[in-house]
Amino acid sequence: MLKLFLWLRYLRKRKIVFLSIAAVALSVSLLIVVASLFTGFIHSYEHIAVEFVGDVVLQPPRKFVRYPHFIERLEKLDAVDAAAATLTGHGVLYIGKGNVRAVIIQGIDAVRTARVAGLKNSLLRQKDISGELSFAVPDKPDEIGGYVGIAAIKEPDEETDEYDFAEAEQMIGEQVVVTTGSVTEEQDTSADGVRTKFKRRTIKLTVTDVVFTGFYDLDKNCVFMPIEKLRETLYPNLEEPLAETIEIKLRPGADIESALAQIRGVWEGFVDDVLGGDPYLKSSATEIETAIEMQGRYIAEVRKQMGLLLLIFGVVSGSVVVLVFCIFYMIVTTKRKDVAIIKSCGTSSASVAWIFVGFGACVGIVGSGIGVVLGFVITKNINVIEGWIRVIFGLKLWKSSVYMFSKIPTEVNWFWAMPIVLSAIAAAAVGTLIPAIVAAITKPVEILRYE
Amino acid sequence: MYKLILAMRYLLKRRITYFAVLAVALCVFIVVIVMTVMTGLVRDFKQKNHDFAGDCIVGSESLVGFAYYEDFVKELEQNQFIEGVSEVIKSYALLSPQGRDVSRGVEIIGIDPVRHSRATGFGRTLYYRKNNVEKAFAPSYDPNLLGCVLGIDLALDRHADSGYSYYDSPVRLGLAITCFPLTARGALAGAATAPVNTKTFYYSDHSHSGLARVDDSVVYLPFDQAQALCGMAGATKRINAIHVKFKGGVELQAGCDRIRRLWQEFKADKSGESQAYLLDTVTVQSWKVYRRTLIAAMEKEQTMMGVMFGFVGIVTVFIVLVVFYMLISHKSKDIGVLRSIGASKVDIIELFAGFAFMVGGLGALVGVLGGWQFLLKINKIEDWLFENFGYQVWDRTMFAIGDIPNEVSPKVLAAIVVAAIAACLIGALVPSWQAIRLKPTETLQVNQL
Repeated sequence: MLKLFLWLRYLRKRKIVFLSIAAVALSVSLLIVVASLFTGFIHSYEHIAVEFVGDVVLQPPRKFVRYPHFIERLEKLDAVDAAAATLTGHGVLYIGKGNVRAVIIQGIDAVRTARVAGLKNSLLRQKDISGELSFAVPDKPDEIGGYVGIAAIKEPDEETDEYDFAEAEQMIGEQVVVTTGSVTEEQDTSADGVRTKFKRRTIKLTVTDVVFTGFYDLDKNCVFMPIEKLRETLYPNLEEPLAETIEIKLRPGADIESALAQIRGVWEGFVDDVLGGDPYLKSSATEIETAIEMQGRYIAEVRKQMGLLLLIFGVVSGSVVVLVFCIFYMIVTTKRKDVAIIKSCGTSSASVAWIFVGFGACVGIVGSGIGVVLGFVITKNINVIEGWIRVIFGLKLWKSSVYMFSKIPTEVNWFWAMPIVLSAIAAAAVGTLIPAIVAAITKPVEILRYE
Repeated sequence: MYKLILAMRYLLKRRITYFAVLAVALCVFIVVIVMTVMTGLVRDFKQKNHDFAGDCIVGSESLVGFAYYEDFVKELEQNQFIEGVSEVIKSYALLSPQGRDVSRGVEIIGIDPVRHSRATGFGRTLYYRKNNVEKAFAPSYDPNLLGCVLGIDLALDRHADSGYSYYDSPVRLGLAITCFPLTARGALAGAATAPVNTKTFYYSDHSHSGLARVDDSVVYLPFDQAQALCGMAGATKRINAIHVKFKGGVELQAGCDRIRRLWQEFKADKSGESQAYLLDTVTVQSWKVYRRTLIAAMEKEQTMMGVMFGFVGIVTVFIVLVVFYMLISHKSKDIGVLRSIGASKVDIIELFAGFAFMVGGLGALVGVLGGWQFLLKINKIEDWLFENFGYQVWDRTMFAIGDIPNEVSPKVLAAIVVAAIAACLIGALVPSWQAIRLKPTETLQVNQL
């Protein structure tokens, strides 16, 4: 009770204590905002990977045929919800007068892919239409439909970084030309053996939808078209379905490790039964990994940068210890008579020391509480703040072309907030240690002498 | 004189001031390191962009390009302030290595290597033909073949130490380049028959600009070949840009303004020509404006870092404030004596401002020296960490960064030192104000002594 009374009294009488509360709050909020922005970015990156390719991706070292058999076997597994094949090619896209872009052409089965990944949610036209995803061009069954990324059509506004959705939707129904190619093997008459030759292929696509994922690289580089049409274009002599990767969605609650092992087992069985038991395809060259593992290297790098930045700001924030020390030292030296009276009433040295250490911890708790609230408010409203900065100072801090995402992640990282708060409380308590010892060793007979 | 003596005395005798010095030193130490590294990265990045683009770019963002450039180039070359001029073709193409079932989209840049090296730093980015730029497109294994220069990341794998495995001579590698030829109206030139042009080039050299997006996606082709591939080599030839380098001593903005005036006059002269409408899409930009999207992003990050350190630096201001507050509350008698012997309020403020200056100056000095020493060894420390723990500040296989920049910029140092001293002066402001309000009659009362 006495301690509480003294803490409240010092807080009321010694306004300078509020400085240490402010310093703790400032440091805590800054560290929480930095940690939240980085982890928000990492989570968004992982989320977009899963959203775009499903939970697990099987990637053999070369393309393989008869994939529907494999998908059929996969979908019989308890752990697997759905699977879809993709065929990919690099190419250049001619959109309109003078507008040519380098793109990645993704051949997909729209219906199956919609079950595996969240592509439908990213389509401007079809996201709000119930029913299966489709490439079909209305009233033109002979034309090949395709989805084009919004940034491939037009880059976001230089100042606001916003897309012109109306203009993008005007592209729906327009025809674009994609150039890609494949290697074919030809019998060489001049020399014995087979000669490989690269064949250019051009495909006229009618834009049936526009892709807006919010992830700049996808929005800029991707063109989707029916997998069978892409196969027919690239490999006209091949009559069997061809795939490059298989994207797999797991059932909710499925054990990842077990699912990966089962998928590999099914793959090896499929290679034995259908692909002639090719040992190369059965080897570890066929990668089966989760979408998150596939981004592991980049994410590890971002985590490293976050750790470094937190370390730097953490070290500088270590000045809080010095600040708390100075304030408490001042309180102890000016309140020696109080301390002496308390001790002369029978309070032990340890109890006296605890008054100041406890007060320091309280400063840390209050400061970090304010810091958490401040960090939460800033992180949640970071896009609004960024907008204000753009309006007031004309400075566009966040651009999707630089930081990949259209919006700054606003997810507060409570996992990091906890150790930051605990460190702040500990730092405030540590700062009071020496003043507390000084108070504890105060001798009442010396302080309370009449002269 | 007494102000200096007292300030020195407070600094040496009052141990609590050491904490203020320590806080300032710690803050300065970190800021010196971070800002030096960031400034170095931005400076290197700007320099690489400058080398890549030259001083001034007359160009159109449209892939259709613009016509009548020969006359304008001649006009530019007659001007004394211009060192080099290079006509450039830019477009997108599909790159397919021979015999491999892979292809990828790339950016092609058609240039005359000698002229482009005069206008930009292109020649210095080459490896095999660095000293023989005119043969950049002549593969050493067969000079009669059509050569191309690949961005280094298209040709070689980058190691963890940011180096590459170089060969004595380029590997014989044929690359089919396919692109869309466009008419002057922007339509596909051969839409009805063959909408794309393809030609095979052979890897003759690689270019290491140090810019990740360039090194990973650009293929340089001979100017006339690129012009033909892109459908710009008809009766009225077209290009996408003219890169210009100014002679030494020509101020960037002044040079760009002169070119802008020349261009306006040229455009007016050509207004009657059949493809004059293409000239309306052309802009004249300095290299800084031309590459602004990339440079601005890094500059903004640097500014943001400065702002964040500013926030953290507030704690330092608080520390100084508390230390001065303590000091003044303990030295009220000194102040009373000084005031009683005639020292004015301004003198008292000057005394504490001088003391704050000393604290800030000493803290900044310690921080700068510590930071400087750390920066001198930063690359060795990183190498040691990498060898022993596999830790790198940046994974060099992912980021196009060589050594960590550690060249201390006097401007940055001066700004940090001034900011540290200013922080101390701000911190000392309120306690000094309290000091001058102390009345000698009260502080020197017998019962206060």
